[in-house]
Amino acid sequence: MKRFIILILTITILLTGCWDKREINQLAFVQGLGIERGKDDMIHIIVEILKPGLLTTGGGGTGGTGGGSAAGKPYAVFQASGVDFAKAFANLNDELPRSLFMQYNEIIFLDEKFARSGIYQTLDFMTRNPEFRRTAYILVVTGGSLEELFNLKSENTLERYPYKEVMGLISNQANTASSYVSDLNEFIETLEIPKKAPITGRLVIVKKDGKATGIRLSGSAVFDNDKLIGFLEEQDTKAVATLMNKLKRSTLTLDKGLKGEKAHISLVVTKARTQIFPKIRDGDISFDIKVNVEAYLNEQETKYELTEPENLEKLQTMVSKKIKTAIEHALFILQKKYNADVVGFVDILYKRNPALWNKIEKDWDKIYPDVKFNVTVKSVIRRSGLSSKPIYPR
Amino acid sequence: MSHKLPDFQYIRQNYQYMTLVQDLEENIYIFQVLLEENSDIVFRKINIGDKKVKAYLIYVDGMADKSLITRNILEPVMIETRKLNKTVYTSDQFFNYIKDYFLTISEVDVKDKIGDVINDLLCGETVLLIDGIEKAIILSTKGWEGRNVAESTTESYVRGPKEAFVETLRINTSMLRRRIKHPDFVIENMKIGKYSKTDVSIAYIKSIAEDKVVQEVKKRLKKVQIDGVIDSGYLEEFIEDNPFSPFPQIAHSEKPDRVSAEILEGKVAILVDGSPFALTVPAIFAQFFQAGEDYYERYFLSSALRVLRIIAMLTALLFPSIYIAETTFHQEMIPTQLAISVAAQREGVPFPALLEALFMEVTFEILREAGIRLPMQVGQAVSIVGGLVIGQAAVQAGLVSPAMVIVVALTGIASFAIPAFNIAITFRLLRFIIMIAAGTLGFFGIIMVVMMILAHMASLESFGVPYLAPMAPSKTQELSDVLIRIPWWAKILRPRTIQRKNIVRQEDTRG
Repeated sequence: MKRFIILILTITILLTGCWDKREINQLAFVQGLGIERGKDDMIHIIVEILKPGLLTTGGGGTGGTGGGSAAGKPYAVFQASGVDFAKAFANLNDELPRSLFMQYNEIIFLDEKFARSGIYQTLDFMTRNPEFRRTAYILVVTGGSLEELFNLKSENTLERYPYKEVMGLISNQANTASSYVSDLNEFIETLEIPKKAPITGRLVIVKKDGKATGIRLSGSAVFDNDKLIGFLEEQDTKAVATLMNKLKRSTLTLDKGLKGEKAHISLVVTKARTQIFPKIRDGDISFDIKVNVEAYLNEQETKYELTEPENLEKLQTMVSKKIKTAIEHALFILQKKYNADVVGFVDILYKRNPALWNKIEKDWDKIYPDVKFNVTVKSVIRRSGLSSKPIYPR
Repeated sequence: MSHKLPDFQYIRQNYQYMTLVQDLEENIYIFQVLLEENSDIVFRKINIGDKKVKAYLIYVDGMADKSLITRNILEPVMIETRKLNKTVYTSDQFFNYIKDYFLTISEVDVKDKIGDVINDLLCGETVLLIDGIEKAIILSTKGWEGRNVAESTTESYVRGPKEAFVETLRINTSMLRRRIKHPDFVIENMKIGKYSKTDVSIAYIKSIAEDKVVQEVKKRLKKVQIDGVIDSGYLEEFIEDNPFSPFPQIAHSEKPDRVSAEILEGKVAILVDGSPFALTVPAIFAQFFQAGEDYYERYFLSSALRVLRIIAMLTALLFPSIYIAETTFHQEMIPTQLAISVAAQREGVPFPALLEALFMEVTFEILREAGIRLPMQVGQAVSIVGGLVIGQAAVQAGLVSPAMVIVVALTGIASFAIPAFNIAITFRLLRFIIMIAAGTLGFFGIIMVVMMILAHMASLESFGVPYLAPMAPSKTQELSDVLIRIPWWAKILRPRTIQRKNIVRQEDTRG
């Protein structure tokens, strides 16, 4: 009897299985999800769905595909509209022979106009739904429509489909830090801190004669809560990344020689460490920003020998000054132009003095543009590349 | 004949309790009644000495060494005794005289129970019956044609002793004795099997092996009441702790070096006449992943191989299940590129992943089974055809995806990397259960079944030793011979999971 009961239990467990079973070849792999505002204020989604059979050319000739590289685009673009996301996705589902599979989608493209109108609804839908990755990057697309981006001609891309091209851009920009791309997680976490402004990457569609010919990850998009308010240029983005301790590697070009002559010297920043100390005196709030930078010489138009201590010293001072100017410029833009606290000074202040913060939170929007920042930059040049001296002396 | 001979029926039913009588004719009559249909039993009538005392020599043709009988029994007894003086002996004196002066045989025994005499006769001994004496002389003349000691076929080493046990028990015990020459090394004998009367030897070292285990082995063996024991596998099923478990709880080996090493650890070996596989108890799970060679090869290599085998074990058990679970339930866990390529391969495959995997695994098992049973030359043909069928044709026909072929092939090869064949079979069987669970419940199913298996393993015991020892219950010190193998000079103690009586293996010479 006991065995019989165990048998019945086992069978019930096994028979209830399968309900969420999906064979891998019945899935529509979405790589690239674009969101824009359609007509009548509808949510319009546009997705890039891969065709696995066409992606894996060569190798095992599987049933169905005759193999062959000239079989066409390895993806298809689908679009659908709806009053909200759930409806739009339901409509999209009706157009597809396979079930949508969002887990491989690591980039969410936002149309600029849509981003300006607020993306709260997007975030709500995506955090509620387990199908979406919280690690998906958010990009604001400017300079063209999403449709142009998704239908980018393959002769203009290195990878086989636009999504992969963008994915490559994101991982490659770590070398220059010319953009700052946040993922859904970081974006939401930022929103959870009152008065802190999220930023994320900007993707520019490069056009020639009205046709999209390429894409470029350039600068970043600044949000006020969930609404896009403007963009930061590449230099400012670098500075912001430095302040947020997120700079891994970047380039820096000085447009003056050591003696003030007109020449270019390029360096690679390999390390930047920032410490921010809030200072509160008589209700006056200011921040001391200390930045330590390590860099190496990449190229110089002039022929200074960096083995000379005084030359090195001078170069370091110039680098420090350049970075200091860049940071101050970025802070100026954030304070005066956007009134957005991207770096998270509010958080630092709150951690230092919660009581004070609670008092001034209401007025922060008025206080922030006039907050003083004392930026001190200390830079160290570690190496001068493979050569320590100019190729030939002056 | 002085009195009436007992009738057939009576003899056949009661011979076990009958004793020999003085009258030779009557004795022979009884033997002939008992063994009349047997063509291989030789009754040789001889006369002994100047007085021509009648005698019979009985032996089994083929089991007794004929040249020994001719040279050391017939010659002295028939020829040398002629020189005897005409002195009058009493029967007893004459009997002892023959036994002690003429029979140049190493082992001589005297018995008077007919049952015992017949037993010995059928074991290959020669029986000498002399007229007027109610006793028989049992002469040890066992000697039959057997397989020569040869290289092992089931456990082959690159480095290490190559000889393997044979079917003859005495040769096997001698191989063990040659390796352990200490008076404490005991080889006890018993007979099991109502008809087969198979010799079974229990070998252990008195001063190391746990007494309780030895007693338990004897107790369990004595309980076996079977008609015949043809191989040690019979006994294994009788004496294992949990007969319903898929896991082997008794280890077996064909190699005398391995068995003697286990005896030195305090285990008890059971050798069965007619079987080249010796059983060793108690057995623990970890030992099924240890090859004898581990202890002969340098310890770095051996340790690395142990880790490799554990990976192989997990692969053999779980790899197809993980593949099924990931492609049908948890696609998000596969790297995107891989998922796309798997999806592309599965395009056009008509079956769900579970069915595809089961189909391929069963095909593989059939091929393996066919390969084992066939003669070697044909076996190769099978593997070529099988390789083509699985690897090429099935994929090209669109029946299975290439990824599945890789999964099945890797699983199959991994299961060969497990040194003990018996535990590899267990994993082969359990693999199918886990695959079905993975196909219906995904990773959740895999985890459930694995937990059930682990719980079952934790509940197993082999002759009082927990099956998962020294992992659970954990004995940190002894893990040094489970996941890795520490060098011999560091093995100061014997494993305490096996016995606690005498744990010092070597004096610590490192100071």
